[in-house]
Amino acid sequence: MDLIAGILQTSILAGGVLALAALGEVLAERVGVVNLGVEGLMALGAITGIATVVTTGSPVAGFLLALAVGLLFGMLFAAVTVYVRANQVLCGLALTLMGTGLAATIGKAYSGMPAPATFTPIALPYLSDIPVLGRAVFSQNILVYLIYFILPVLLHIIMFRTRHGLNLRAVGENPAAADAAGIAVQKIRFWYVTAGAALAAGAGAYLTLAFVPSWSEGVVAGRGWIAVALVIFAGYRPLNAVLAALLFGVITSLGFVGQARNWPIAAPILSMLPYLGTIAFIIVPVVAWRRMRQAMAAPAALGIPYYRDVR
Amino acid sequence: MAIRIQRLPSASPAVAFAARAAAIVLALVAAGLLLATGGAQPLKLAMQVLKSTFGSGFGLEDVGLLVTPLMLTGLSVAVALRIGAWNIGAEGQFYAGAFAATGVALFIPGPTIVMLPVMFAAGALGGLIWILVPTLARAYADVSELITTLLLNFVATLLVYYVSTGPWLDPGGHALATTARLKHNVPEFWGIVHWGFPLAMLLCVVVAAALGFTRWGYEVRIAGSNPQAAKYAGMPFRRHLIVVMLLSGAIAGIAGMLEVAGTVHRLQGGISNNFGYLGIMVAVLARGSCIGVIAGAALMAVILNSGIILQTQGLTTSTVLAITGLILFFTAIGDELAHYKITRSKPAKT
Repeated sequence: MDLIAGILQTSILAGGVLALAALGEVLAERVGVVNLGVEGLMALGAITGIATVVTTGSPVAGFLLALAVGLLFGMLFAAVTVYVRANQVLCGLALTLMGTGLAATIGKAYSGMPAPATFTPIALPYLSDIPVLGRAVFSQNILVYLIYFILPVLLHIIMFRTRHGLNLRAVGENPAAADAAGIAVQKIRFWYVTAGAALAAGAGAYLTLAFVPSWSEGVVAGRGWIAVALVIFAGYRPLNAVLAALLFGVITSLGFVGQARNWPIAAPILSMLPYLGTIAFIIVPVVAWRRMRQAMAAPAALGIPYYRDVR
Repeated sequence: MAIRIQRLPSASPAVAFAARAAAIVLALVAAGLLLATGGAQPLKLAMQVLKSTFGSGFGLEDVGLLVTPLMLTGLSVAVALRIGAWNIGAEGQFYAGAFAATGVALFIPGPTIVMLPVMFAAGALGGLIWILVPTLARAYADVSELITTLLLNFVATLLVYYVSTGPWLDPGGHALATTARLKHNVPEFWGIVHWGFPLAMLLCVVVAAALGFTRWGYEVRIAGSNPQAAKYAGMPFRRHLIVVMLLSGAIAGIAGMLEVAGTVHRLQGGISNNFGYLGIMVAVLARGSCIGVIAGAALMAVILNSGIILQTQGLTTSTVLAITGLILFFTAIGDELAHYKITRSKPAKT
């Protein structure tokens, strides 16, 4: 029982990083922009988080500042991809290289330094007394509640239950039609891509402030790319994205358990699990459930810049 | 007189080239300004770089050594782009090629003259196998190769790290995390520059010729620019896609083989030096042209070598990575802006 609670707790903690980044990517892709800069944004968020907490001692300040850094770089990326309409794939890769490089450069001074303060678990009254689930689910840090319960539900309601949500989905599906209906295509794209980037940087800060509380080069380790892949797996839906992230949290934590319990598999091999798992999970569903393809399909205008004059 | 801005469907080569050059210069200026705010003296650094790179034979030899893998990873990405596929996994295929070639060298006895070609083939095969699953997934299930090729990079990195610290660890025990020195080496022809350099250049020319002058190349180019048209014209789009992607993987694998057998002589973690990712840059700089890859790789090698020189001045490889990203960013902007034409016309009389 303790083992299961432990695995579940680690899974939720590990999956949180992916869930937050994936939610950000859902926002960007729903309005039609592929942001491949998630990995770089996460690196920037991770270093911002640790640098702030080392200086001020406040993880909350670290997380907020990381959101601000993500906002800034997100605005830059959105301005270039939405208004200048530069190639989204190139700009995303560039952002990843810039972010990873910049974060590692700044991070040199903080390498190996443990975070002096982290987001500590808060046990919810009564709920945390439930056996197994209580410890695993309801005594986590505050970001976990935000990432798993508040944010995805909020985004789901905005996206699928409001007029505004209809507009933003229209922008991703058919920007020309949306434009003709009087929706400000560029503006919506700009702000959702920016918000998504802020969440990606927040995911980085969550990584260094709650999950692995220190900075080292390569701490993000491809989680940004896994998050991008998860969005496809989740069919571009916020609630699915969080569940998919949790699934990957389980895979990650199985790797940890394997190392802790000295399974006869080498640590680097166990570390391959999340990557191989991601590949399997984006290939297998498409092959196995062909009928689901339409329901889970990407927004029709994904990756295509919108030019009003060629409407 | 009214100024009108018009977007053209394709940019003229001259404008596109000028936009590229301007983008690179602007990116370097921006990087210099950023470095200056950090207390460095960019102009002094730049002079230092130019002197160390072009002022001596050693500097040029270093560039020659760096340009070899860059040409191949660049070619790998450029070839895939020709048919519209983004191979972001050249890094992983590079590792897989190095891994396969090392395995052959370590465990199969034989004279060097025989073993080098066998290692070469093993390297190509390693890269090909590494891209096989993403290729089939893209060809038959339309799964984005962008993500699958990329994720396999991490798997390949871990695999090489695992064997070089574990099962294949140097039994001599002098070094901590590498295999034994390989018995077979690609010979050098100029200082430290090995025969991989002309070989890589030849490969660029051969692939460019195949794409430019054969029926296969023609069909691939059509399929890349307009898959629908290619299908209507009865061209086997799927077959071309598979062949081109596997070729792309094999080329990156060859880069890995040459690096391990020509430059490093041992398999170790981090052997790829980000060459796979930088190959994306090279291919983009080359605008998808396989001959252009040679020039793009040369530029990238100079930037990379500058980074190594700058490390002695207190900068890090990560700084160079960030600058590379900045250049790519400006290039993407320049590419789009090159499509615009500003025309002046008299306002229409009403």
